[in-house]
Amino acid sequence: MNLEPMSLFWLAFTLAAYLGSRWLYRRTGRYLLSPLILVPALLLAVAVPLHTAYAEYARNTHWLMGVLGPVTVAFAVPIWQQRALLARHWPALLVGMLAGSVASIGSSWALARGLALDPSVSLSLLPRSITTPFAMPVAQDLGGVPELTAVFVMFTGVLGAVFGGILLRWLPLRTPLARGALFGVGAHGAGVSRAREVGHEEGSVAGLVMVLTGLLNLFAAPLLVMLV
Amino acid sequence: MNPVIHKTVRLLAELAVLLGLFLLGGQLAAWFGWPIPGGVMGLALLLVLFATGAVKPATLQRGAGLLMAEMLLFFIPALMSLLDYGSLLRSEGWRILLVIALSTLLVMVVTAVTVELVCRWRLRHEP
Repeated sequence: MNLEPMSLFWLAFTLAAYLGSRWLYRRTGRYLLSPLILVPALLLAVAVPLHTAYAEYARNTHWLMGVLGPVTVAFAVPIWQQRALLARHWPALLVGMLAGSVASIGSSWALARGLALDPSVSLSLLPRSITTPFAMPVAQDLGGVPELTAVFVMFTGVLGAVFGGILLRWLPLRTPLARGALFGVGAHGAGVSRAREVGHEEGSVAGLVMVLTGLLNLFAAPLLVMLV
Repeated sequence: MNPVIHKTVRLLAELAVLLGLFLLGGQLAAWFGWPIPGGVMGLALLLVLFATGAVKPATLQRGAGLLMAEMLLFFIPALMSLLDYGSLLRSEGWRILLVIALSTLLVMVVTAVTVELVCRWRLRHEP
């Protein structure tokens, strides 16, 4: 632990902003107050005027990212608990996850090329629809910037949770499986929370599919490296 | 023992097991020379433990649930990398957002429609 006052401040501020925002969001249910949006906004609102560099912010906070490793281990629990669902519906889910992943990586790549984005930005965009603990190592493999990928993953979650709700009204989806997969493949963690509001089965499907899509992308990354 | 202390100790023990599996997974991947993250190896180990009945999912439910529920906290530091990309965001920010928005819409439609079609096809063809 670094005892320099500013780096202790950033750790304390990050934890306080997170806990405060989580409490506010639970009380009000307002999407703009959810930790996904409010915490980075608060931190940036203080850090930008102070001209804080990322390295300075990260000195005492980077270990939090290390916890994403044990989070990945914890993903075994939803996989195991939903194994009956997986055994019954694996063909539909597998085809959906493959189609969704190809659509995600293909469209990110094509759009980034079309809009002439910086190459490191384009590579960091490719894994943006999977959950952060998987997206960051995939970005690393592809030669992108894992931290930028985390930023893009966040924006995907913020937008995806909203888009998903709108799409459900427009698409004639009769099965909870399709509604859950829409959120799990398209908007990872933020999508899973939204899917739980839609229904119990949607939430379970989304949670399972989020983890499996992350694994699928991680194991497909070496193939992707050959393509890009 | 005081129930609050008991619960806390129990939770810490569950978190320690998950951390241990992560570290062990990383070690195994290094020994075998596999380019697989420690977390994914740990996930596979835990699935094996569940499958053999050595560990019951309920045993780790609170610890695993806590880590997954608070996952956002663990990637907030990465979001702050934005501090070093101010000029990039000013020049490409809107284009990046456009890519994310369009691609996310497409992914959702493609995934949902694919799963729906496969489900309906299977319903029609099941005896």
